[in-house]
Amino acid sequence: MSLLHIHDPLAAPRPIGIDLGTTNSLVAYVPLLGEATTLLDCDNDPLLPSVVCYRADGATVVGKEAKRLAQDFPQDTIVSVKRFMGRGADDPETKRLGPYRFATSDGPVVKFAVAGDRVVNPIEVSAEILRALKQKAEDELGELGGAVITVPAYFDDAQRQATKDAGRLAGLEVLRLLNEPTAAALAYGLGTKQNGTFAVYDLGGGTFDVTILVLDEGVFQVRSTGGDSQLGGDDMDRALAERFVRAMGFSQGAELPAGHVRIALDAARAVKHALTEQDVVDAEIEVPGSQPLLQRVTRDELDVLIKPLVERTGVACRRALRDAGLSAKDLDGVILVGGSTRVPLVRRYVAELFGREPLTSIDPDQVVAIGAAIQADLLAGQGKNDAVLLLDVLPLSLGIEAMGGVVEKILPRNTAIPASAAQVFTTYADNQTGFVLHVVQGEREMAEACRSLARFTLKGIPPMPAGMARLSVRFDVDADGILKVSAQEETTGIKQEVEVKPSYGLGDAEIERMLLDAYDHADNDVSLRALRQEQVEAERIILATVSAVASDAALLAAGEREAIDAALQALKQAAQGKDHRRIHDLIDQLDRICKPFAGRRMDRSIARALSGRSLHDVERETSHARGIEPHLRPGAES
Amino acid sequence: MDPFATLGLPRRYDVDPGELDRRYRELQKALHPDRYTGAGASERRMSLSKAVEVNEAYRVLRDDVKRAEALLALLGPAPGGERETVSSEFLMEAMELREALADAKHARDLSQVQRLAARAEALWAETRRQLAAVFSSLAQSAAPAEVACARALVNQLKYHQRLLDEVSLIREEAEAS
Repeated sequence: MSLLHIHDPLAAPRPIGIDLGTTNSLVAYVPLLGEATTLLDCDNDPLLPSVVCYRADGATVVGKEAKRLAQDFPQDTIVSVKRFMGRGADDPETKRLGPYRFATSDGPVVKFAVAGDRVVNPIEVSAEILRALKQKAEDELGELGGAVITVPAYFDDAQRQATKDAGRLAGLEVLRLLNEPTAAALAYGLGTKQNGTFAVYDLGGGTFDVTILVLDEGVFQVRSTGGDSQLGGDDMDRALAERFVRAMGFSQGAELPAGHVRIALDAARAVKHALTEQDVVDAEIEVPGSQPLLQRVTRDELDVLIKPLVERTGVACRRALRDAGLSAKDLDGVILVGGSTRVPLVRRYVAELFGREPLTSIDPDQVVAIGAAIQADLLAGQGKNDAVLLLDVLPLSLGIEAMGGVVEKILPRNTAIPASAAQVFTTYADNQTGFVLHVVQGEREMAEACRSLARFTLKGIPPMPAGMARLSVRFDVDADGILKVSAQEETTGIKQEVEVKPSYGLGDAEIERMLLDAYDHADNDVSLRALRQEQVEAERIILATVSAVASDAALLAAGEREAIDAALQALKQAAQGKDHRRIHDLIDQLDRICKPFAGRRMDRSIARALSGRSLHDVERETSHARGIEPHLRPGAES
Repeated sequence: MDPFATLGLPRRYDVDPGELDRRYRELQKALHPDRYTGAGASERRMSLSKAVEVNEAYRVLRDDVKRAEALLALLGPAPGGERETVSSEFLMEAMELREALADAKHARDLSQVQRLAARAEALWAETRRQLAAVFSSLAQSAAPAEVACARALVNQLKYHQRLLDEVSLIREEAEAS
C-alpha cells in the first residue's frame, strides 16, 4: 500500500462512510494520516438535510436549498424519505400526517407524484441524497473507493435491499450495509480501546434501535438488537404539529392543505429543538392567508405529548437485554446516538431504564458516519484491518409460511451473520407439481402478522404421491443482513429455477432499467467504467497474491509458485491494456490456480486460532476487569 | 457437522461460556469475510462458508437444548424409530403449568404469570442439572439406557423452554400494551 502512495497519492481511491439519515445525511472518511472526519459544506456544516425537491422545470434540488423550498412546494419536496424505504404503497406510514401526493395506493413500493409530471419512489429519492454526498466527497477526495452505508439495525430485509439499491443507483460501490448502533460503537471503541458490554440507544429522526454488544480486544460482537423502524423524532414533531394544526382552526380528521401541514411540522420541530435548552417557548407561526399563530409550549407539555413514544423504546430495550441474557446492571456503559437523544425526557428515561448516566462524548449526529468511515477504511484497506472486527446479528426472525398460516422459523432473530439454514418441505396433495413458498420476517406466530418478503413459485416437480417430494429450501443471509433464498427438489436432484417476487421493493429488472436511465447520458462511459473496475480489481488481486506467496512460501506445493508467477505475469500485462474482458478472464484464471494454496492458508489460520490460548490471552484476561467507567465518564474524556 | 470440532472444544455438555466466546472470536478473527475483502473470489467464498459454519456451531453450543441434541446426534441415530417419551407424571405437570399460564394470561394476572414463570424456571434448572449429570456419566460409557434417559431429559428441557418462551411473549405483550 505505502509503495502505491509514494507513486501517486491521488491515485489511491478513498473509501467513504455514509450515514443516510431520516433527517440529515453525512459523509465521512479516514485520511491517510489522522482520525476519521466528516466532510463539511461551505458553511462548515457536516449535515446535509435528507430533503429532495423536484422542480417543475425538471431540476432536482437536494439538501438545504430543498429544505428551504419545502414550505412553498410541500408536495414536491420529499422529507424523511427513509421512513418509506422498503414499504408498500398501502403502508400505514403513507396515511400519517404529511403533505405528499401518492401516485398509487397499492403495489410493492411507495410512489410520490411530484412536479413536472414525475413519479418517484423512495429508492430514487434516496439515490439523489446519496449522489449529492458522493459529489461532495469526490470534489474533496478525488476518486472514491467504495462506500459503507449505514442502516438502522432493526431494518428488515426489504428496507436493507432498498438502501443497497439506492446506493447502486447513485453509482456507489456499496462495500457493506453497516448497522447504525454498531457503527456508533466502532466510533466510540476505537478512540478508547475499552473492553466490556455496552448498550447503544439510537433514537433518530425516524427510527429507533437498541443494540447490546460486547467489546473484546477489537472484536465488536453484537449480542442482541431490537427496535422500531418507524419511531423517531418525526413522531414527536407530528404529536406537536397536531396541536398546531388544530390551533390553526382545522378539526381532527379534516382535509388539510399540504402547505399548512409542512408549516406545522417545521414549527413543531423548531419548538422541540428550542425546548432542549429552554423550559418554555413562545412560537410565532406564519399561517398563509391569516394572522400569525401564537403558541406557547412548555417543556412539560411537550413531555406529556411524547412520553408514550419514549416509553415504546423501553419495551425494545428490555427485550434486547433479555435476548442477550443480561440485566441492566451487567452493562459497562450506555451510548446515546441520534439527534432525538438530545431531548431531555429521552435522556432522563434512558438513565432511569439502564440505571446509569449515558455516554454522550461524541456528537450524536456525527458518530454513525464516523463509524461508517472507519469500517469502510477497514474493508477497503489491506493488511491493516486485523485490529478490528464487527460481528453482527440478524435483527428479525426469518421464516416460511407453513400450512395454516403459521410461521415456521428458519433463522431466529439475533442469529450471528453471515448465516445459512435449510429446511425440507414436502407436498400435501397427490401429483402436486408446484410449490408456492411465502418468505416472511418477524416475531409473530402467524404469517399475516409478519412482514412479507417474497413469494416463490417452484414448478415442474414430477407427479408423486403426497408427502414424497422433498423440497429443500435454503436461506443464506450475508454480512449486510440481506437474504437469498434457493430451493431444490431433492428426490429428482434437479435444482429448480426459483421465481422470486419481492413483496416490497423493486425487482432486478426495474433496478436495471433505472440504472440504465441514470447512465443514459453517459453511454460511452460504460465500457470505460468496466475497464477501470477490472483494473482496480486486478491490482488488488495481484497485491494480495504477491503478499500471500511471500509470507507463506512454505505452503506452496511443487510447481505451484511457477504456475502462480506465470498467471500473475499474464494478468499484469493485460491490466496495462484496454480489454476489460481479458483482464476479467485472467483474474479468474489466477484465482483458479491459487485456490488450493488459499485453502491451505485458510486451514492453517483456523488451526492457529484453535491452537488454544497463548500467554497473550491470559494477560489480557486480567485487563478485562478494568471496565469502562474510569476511562469514559461523561464529561471526563475530552 | 460436529460443532464441538468446529470450535475446537471437547465433546462435553458443560461448556464454559467464556471459553466458548473466546474460541468463537478467535476463529472469526481468522476467517471472517471482512478479513478477506482484498482476496480472490474463491478465497472469499471459502471464508464466507467457514464463517457461516462457525456461526452455526456457536449458535448450537450456546443453546442448552441444541447442544444436548448435537451431543446425542454424535452418539448415533435414535434407535429404530422408537421415540423417547417423557414420563406421564412429567407430562401431567407440564400440561397443568401450561393451562395455568394460559389462564393467567387470559385473566391478565401478571403476578400469577410471575409465580408460574418462577416455577418453570426452577423446573428448567433441575432438568438442566440432571441432563448435565447424565451426560457426564455418558462420557464414561454410552450405555443404551443412559442414552435413552438423556433423550427423554432433552425432551423435557424442550417443554420447559417452550413454556419459558411463552412467558417471555406474555411479558412482552403486557409491556407493549
